[in-house]
Amino acid sequence: MLDLALKDLKEHKVRTILTALGIFIAITAIVSLGSISTGVNELVTSSTGLIGSDTIFVMKHFDFSEITAGPPQDMIGEIDADAVSEISSISGVKRAVPVIARAFMGFFEVDGLDMDAVDMFGAQDIEFKEGWWPENDEKGAVLGYLPASMLDVAVGDYIELNKKEVEVFGIFEEGSGAYDLVILMPYDYADEIYETEGGATQLMVEPEDISMVTEIKQIIEDEYDDLDAMTMEDALSMMEEITGTLNIMTFGIGFVASLVAAIGIIITMYTSVLERRRQIGIMKAVGALRRTILIQILQEGLLLSVVSSLVAVAISFFFVEMLNNILLGGINLAVITPALAIGAIAYGIGLTVISSLYPAWIAVKTDPIKAIREG
Amino acid sequence: MKKDVMFELQDVCKIYRMKGVETHALRGATLQIRKGEYVALLGPSGSGKSTLMHIMGCLDTPTKGRVFVEGREISKLSDDDLAKIRREKIGFVFQAYNLIQGLTAAENVALPMRFSGYGRGDAQKKAKELLKKVGLENRMDHKPNELSGGEQQRVAIARSLVNDPDVILADEPTGNLDTRSGKEIFELLENLHKKTGKTIIVVTHDINLAKRAHREIRIKDGTVTN
Repeated sequence: MLDLALKDLKEHKVRTILTALGIFIAITAIVSLGSISTGVNELVTSSTGLIGSDTIFVMKHFDFSEITAGPPQDMIGEIDADAVSEISSISGVKRAVPVIARAFMGFFEVDGLDMDAVDMFGAQDIEFKEGWWPENDEKGAVLGYLPASMLDVAVGDYIELNKKEVEVFGIFEEGSGAYDLVILMPYDYADEIYETEGGATQLMVEPEDISMVTEIKQIIEDEYDDLDAMTMEDALSMMEEITGTLNIMTFGIGFVASLVAAIGIIITMYTSVLERRRQIGIMKAVGALRRTILIQILQEGLLLSVVSSLVAVAISFFFVEMLNNILLGGINLAVITPALAIGAIAYGIGLTVISSLYPAWIAVKTDPIKAIREG
Repeated sequence: MKKDVMFELQDVCKIYRMKGVETHALRGATLQIRKGEYVALLGPSGSGKSTLMHIMGCLDTPTKGRVFVEGREISKLSDDDLAKIRREKIGFVFQAYNLIQGLTAAENVALPMRFSGYGRGDAQKKAKELLKKVGLENRMDHKPNELSGGEQQRVAIARSLVNDPDVILADEPTGNLDTRSGKEIFELLENLHKKTGKTIIVVTHDINLAKRAHREIRIKDGTVTN
């Protein structure tokens, strides 16, 4: 009887298109938001995994009430040279690596750091497309794949940072995770470019022993009121909180979109049942069982939802490609995993079939004599 | 009950309640129709003949009294059991044809067979055979709005025959037709009765047409008067 359901959908094109549109919008919203949530989760996981679990981040206390427009790195104050040197000499500290971080072209980050300490950032094994790391006393930078391709530069070319020409020493291979988005250079050279006078945006502190992490963090916080110290554990829990909030937002928007779609489906299917009351009456009069009527209405919902959900997922793939490649210049912020795509299709089908139950029940209860007589 | 009895109604009452107002459509109707009979149910408008036909056709159940179809009491059967009887034993022909507008003539005829579980191919084949028999071999793929009233009623007759039922119930089958088309429909039903021996019950208020049946059952004010 699937052919009859299909015929009925074709017969009422406007109604069919409106219902399909409701399902399409809900599934597109769910897949698009879900893809951003998945992408951010993956980006955070890949970034945090690079740094050792014994590392303590130290940065200037950040007051969220003073947030203004612009990249966060430009709002965070700097740790002065004295504090950098004092923290380095705290008992139990193996090394304290100052980092000068600056935003670049909106998406990218320039980091000045000790070239002998790249292992602290998990960067020691990154493969190079061309060139190599600069030495600490050299004046040059290594570019991630994306800034290099966006600026269209090769080793030996120059890029402009803080109105100064900086030579490209190396370019990372594509697919280096978070390092696709950075520009790294020796700390001293970044200090010169950005005129930070021995200060740092952040300090990466490595204790002699992992058991000393908490103790050293406490010492730093006690000694410096204007500094925040954060262990890897703190960073992870903060990241989890952020991604958790994002997931809740995704769920919330998806839920609202689903609710609107469900109401739309119920209204259009219900109207369709009322419009076809006479037809349903005739079907019952010539021998259709209640089950037959129920199945036909549900089949209509099923056909609609399968097509709408598949189109929604296909369009979402297109949106995500546009977002990542055109708007974000190649950053995979949004990711549609097979599980997300299949889950969204299954959800779309389930949502429609459940929403069709009430209209189907109304159809089942139709009194054939009344329906034929009154139409 | 005799084996050759198709329908038996014993003191059947039907009361409709609308907004607290009771309407007595049938007031103790009693009758018996044997298998193979060609009967005309005759009566003025509002006499209860259509209600009687709906009850015999298992489209409705009585408020009071007992109804037997081939010896089986139907008064307390479920909706689905009544639908099965309608599907297997009874073919309906309505005054307003009651064809589904979105389907072709052949698809309309095939519908009851599809409800009986036959596939599209088998049902369409049988539908086309029946449409040929009612003289519509060239109109099989036309939709109801592309057919004349007489042609639509022929489609309805073909549909009533598709599951090879024992009974054809025709409710004012010529009511919406001109004299010539009406006569043709009656001739079709008469031939059907002659050739197949099916029980045919025709509801009408046209005395001339009713006289062509083998027996007349007259209804007045919800009761059988003869």
